[in-house]
Amino acid sequence: MTQTSVPTMTAAARAVGLTKTYGKGATEVHALRGVDLEIRRGAFTAIMGPSGSGKSTLMHCLAGLDRPTSGEVMVAGQPLQNLDDDQLTVFRRENVGFVFQAFNLLPMLTAGQNIQLPLELAGKRVTDETRARAQMIADTLGIGKRLGHKPSELSGGQQQRVAIARALVTQPAILFADEPTGNLDSETSAEVLDHLRRSVRELGQTVVMVTHEASAAAYADEVVTVKDGHIEGVTR
Amino acid sequence: MRTVLFASLRTYARRYAAAVVAVVAAVALIVVTNALTSATKSGLFAGIDAPFRNAVGAVDLPTEEVTQKYTEKGGWALAASMQPVRTDKAMLGQEVMVGAVSTEKRWQWQELEAGRFPTRAGESVVDANAAKTNKVAIGDTLRVGTGESAVETTVVGLVDAPSMWSSPVYVTWPEMQGWKNPYVQAVLTAGTGDEADKWLNTDDYLTELQTQLNKEVNVVAYMVLIFAFIALFVSVLVITNTFSILFAQRMRDFALLRAMGATKRQVLRSVRREALALGLLASVLGLVVGAVLGWGIVAIVRQLAETAPLGEVALEWPWLLSAFVLGTLTTLVASWLPTRRLMRLSPLAALRPQEGFDVRGAGMFRLGLGVLGTLAGIGIIFVAVGWDDAQTGMLIVLVGCGITFLGVMLLGPALVPGLVRLAGAGLARVAGSPAKLAAANAGRNPKRTAATAASLLVGVTLTTGVLTGMNTIRAATLDEMAEQHPIDIALQAESEPLADSVVGDAKAVPGVADAVAVPGALASVEAEGKPVPVPVVAPPAGDIALRDLTVKPGTMVLSPVAASAFVEDSFEASGEKVTLTVGDRTATVTLDVREIDGAAQISAATLRELTTDPQTYAVWVRADAGADPEDLAGTLGVLAPDAELINGKAQRAWVELQLDVFTWAVIGLLAISVLIALAGIANTLGLSVLERGREHALLRALGLTKRQLRRTLAAEAVLLSAVAAVVGTALGVFFAWGGSEILIGDMLPDARFDPPVLQLIGVVVVAGVAGLVSCVVPSKRATKVSPAEGLALD
Repeated sequence: MTQTSVPTMTAAARAVGLTKTYGKGATEVHALRGVDLEIRRGAFTAIMGPSGSGKSTLMHCLAGLDRPTSGEVMVAGQPLQNLDDDQLTVFRRENVGFVFQAFNLLPMLTAGQNIQLPLELAGKRVTDETRARAQMIADTLGIGKRLGHKPSELSGGQQQRVAIARALVTQPAILFADEPTGNLDSETSAEVLDHLRRSVRELGQTVVMVTHEASAAAYADEVVTVKDGHIEGVTR
Repeated sequence: MRTVLFASLRTYARRYAAAVVAVVAAVALIVVTNALTSATKSGLFAGIDAPFRNAVGAVDLPTEEVTQKYTEKGGWALAASMQPVRTDKAMLGQEVMVGAVSTEKRWQWQELEAGRFPTRAGESVVDANAAKTNKVAIGDTLRVGTGESAVETTVVGLVDAPSMWSSPVYVTWPEMQGWKNPYVQAVLTAGTGDEADKWLNTDDYLTELQTQLNKEVNVVAYMVLIFAFIALFVSVLVITNTFSILFAQRMRDFALLRAMGATKRQVLRSVRREALALGLLASVLGLVVGAVLGWGIVAIVRQLAETAPLGEVALEWPWLLSAFVLGTLTTLVASWLPTRRLMRLSPLAALRPQEGFDVRGAGMFRLGLGVLGTLAGIGIIFVAVGWDDAQTGMLIVLVGCGITFLGVMLLGPALVPGLVRLAGAGLARVAGSPAKLAAANAGRNPKRTAATAASLLVGVTLTTGVLTGMNTIRAATLDEMAEQHPIDIALQAESEPLADSVVGDAKAVPGVADAVAVPGALASVEAEGKPVPVPVVAPPAGDIALRDLTVKPGTMVLSPVAASAFVEDSFEASGEKVTLTVGDRTATVTLDVREIDGAAQISAATLRELTTDPQTYAVWVRADAGADPEDLAGTLGVLAPDAELINGKAQRAWVELQLDVFTWAVIGLLAISVLIALAGIANTLGLSVLERGREHALLRALGLTKRQLRRTLAAEAVLLSAVAAVVGTALGVFFAWGGSEILIGDMLPDARFDPPVLQLIGVVVVAGVAGLVSCVVPSKRATKVSPAEGLALD
């Protein structure tokens, strides 16, 4: 309707004047010092930076896992700052998918149960349709035959692929991957990154990946470089 | 390593909370027991020698002849009898202990507070405290006893007496001798006595008496100690579990120490010292808590009940030392297994990614042993049930129960998670994914889950076993009481019939549902050539009593006491024929001797043979269910002062009260073990929450709301405690069945096994709710962590 709504239509997520401060007084740490950022819809964006640069904090704020000290975040057209904890949780459940570096899966559930978990948490009935979709995603990721196994019986690469499948199963508006290849060897890393890129190309999934490896960032369409709580640059 | 030890203690102090609570509770229970027994002993022994001041010696529990022999020679009987006591205004009590007071100065051992000692029969003294509470004053007239043996006596003094010999009322000895069977604890002698009478000089007698009392008090103390040992056993389970979890969480630290050059022995010694320090600290705390509680309880009891025989608390070193050593030892023993596991630790473990915890289930050997134990135990119980000798059978049942329980505990890692999963699947239908997650969580570490459940299992099994067993015994005992005392309250005439007005007056008393006049006569039976008066009544048909008391024609039902007036061996007299005579009419009846209240009972037909003009020889009263039997007896007694008042309802109520008090005292003591187990559940859950910080963060990131997370933890606690409660109840009921089957048929011929379903459901519900309460703190802590913080956790 108005001019300002136009960018939200094209941006999957947007941050304006984002700051995040931990501690008080002498121990005060500024993780983010005023970040403005727009994540393009249907693109593979990498957020890069050395450890302690604030890239993880930025991701946590964008994903609604943490609240910024000041500034605004909008994801999938929804401003996050006015949501309470429960609303934020439901918002994550419905709009955001996650792949973490490690401890991605719940050890007591099988791979298949882990993939279905977001649907269950949302209280959705597991129908033939959702099951078929989960199976399709799992097959695409090459783990279709391992769904009955516990995470401890899977290799690191397989575990990450299960995590990606779980993130995709809800068809989230945006998928965040936090150092998804941090624990993997280079060959397996390449496979996992390839799967992420294919989900962008083939499914039109928006993916944001936090990484400190340039080789991983090379798979992305856009690379956002973060240093000392600032955005240093954006390359396309 | 000392730096590591102290730093560990400081860092992990809060995580040891449950272990400390467990040891403190068990140690404190021992100390409180000692406080109460020492106060009881000093209360009992205070002034125990007062009556003996002028005695040369005494005979304990003398026969009637011995009592007479020494009292005639100037001695004195320490006697008491339970009698109804009333003033002209009110009933003071149906069963009041009445002691004897001497008119001779040297046996007047009571301390005079006001007035004077009696100088003749018909005068009495009253305990000053009892006088105050019952509003009795010097100059009042008391009526003590029932029927024709009742005495009228005037209160001339108020006295105080050492608790061992104290009674509320004292009448003179000659008056007491008229009562059926006064209890003589000892006869004090004015001179030396005969060895043959088991006479002892005063010093020896008092030493003997104190030893005896000591033993009696100690028996009670040892029974309470059983519960302290149960509490200690549960503590071992809780502490073992706490250490297992803590060490699993700290595996990386230990491995790091090893990598830096600490030897296995150094690491092991460090953690064992940690356990020792914990045990010492908790035991000291237990001593302090126990001492404070003990003193507090004694002080409160003395404040509330001035006549309670409690003296000063004097804690004894052997008790304190044992409690302390037991507490410390329990902690050390409990930490032994978990610390042994550290021996397998390799330094490399520090460098590997943390796998979190030991998730292996139980080995086949353990499970096999568990199956074997369970089956063997059950088999033993079934064998024992058919045993002829009840005492041996009971012992075998106990052994069977123990083996079954151990078997089930060994099976725990397979049994408990399986049952939790089953229950979780049921709960998931209503509670959704939190219940599913909770069931999966409970199954992830079978040994830990089983150990946590086992601690609760002990308390629940014992509680439900006692409840079920006592319910069977209680039903049988109350049935027997109803059989023996079927009439609520009876006014029984002795030689003169009751006035016609009594039954009408009785009906008008509030609390009386119905009253009937029972026709009868004063018959006589010839014994050794002389006629013996025997009052007889003919019970009417109807529902005045708990069962139909009508007698078959030609039979006379009577108590052994009544029969002893005219037959040799009253207990063997059933079947004998006697001839009843009233005036010039006679009737021959067959005796049926059994424990009944009141006069001999014959049929209406037999009574018609004996007399054409039967008179009211008893009034039977049925009371309203809620009426107080003592109050009722007080009012009814006034209607016929010369009649004997038989209070069946009060006797039944008294037995019921005794059974209830016993049951609830046992349950109360077992509750300590249950509380320790619940602290254990809270602790396991709390430690699991710490351990699963990252998982919870992941779940929260994926869209689990705070409330759903809380519900997950709540479901885990409830599932765990409910499964333990259900398994424990099943075991408890089964064990109680074994025990009751032995008693039934031998000691309790008419008993039926009767589980108290409502109470058992109550136990399971309470356990579930307690599980819910135990998860409050852990779940609060879990939801305080934001997802972003949680993901950063190691």
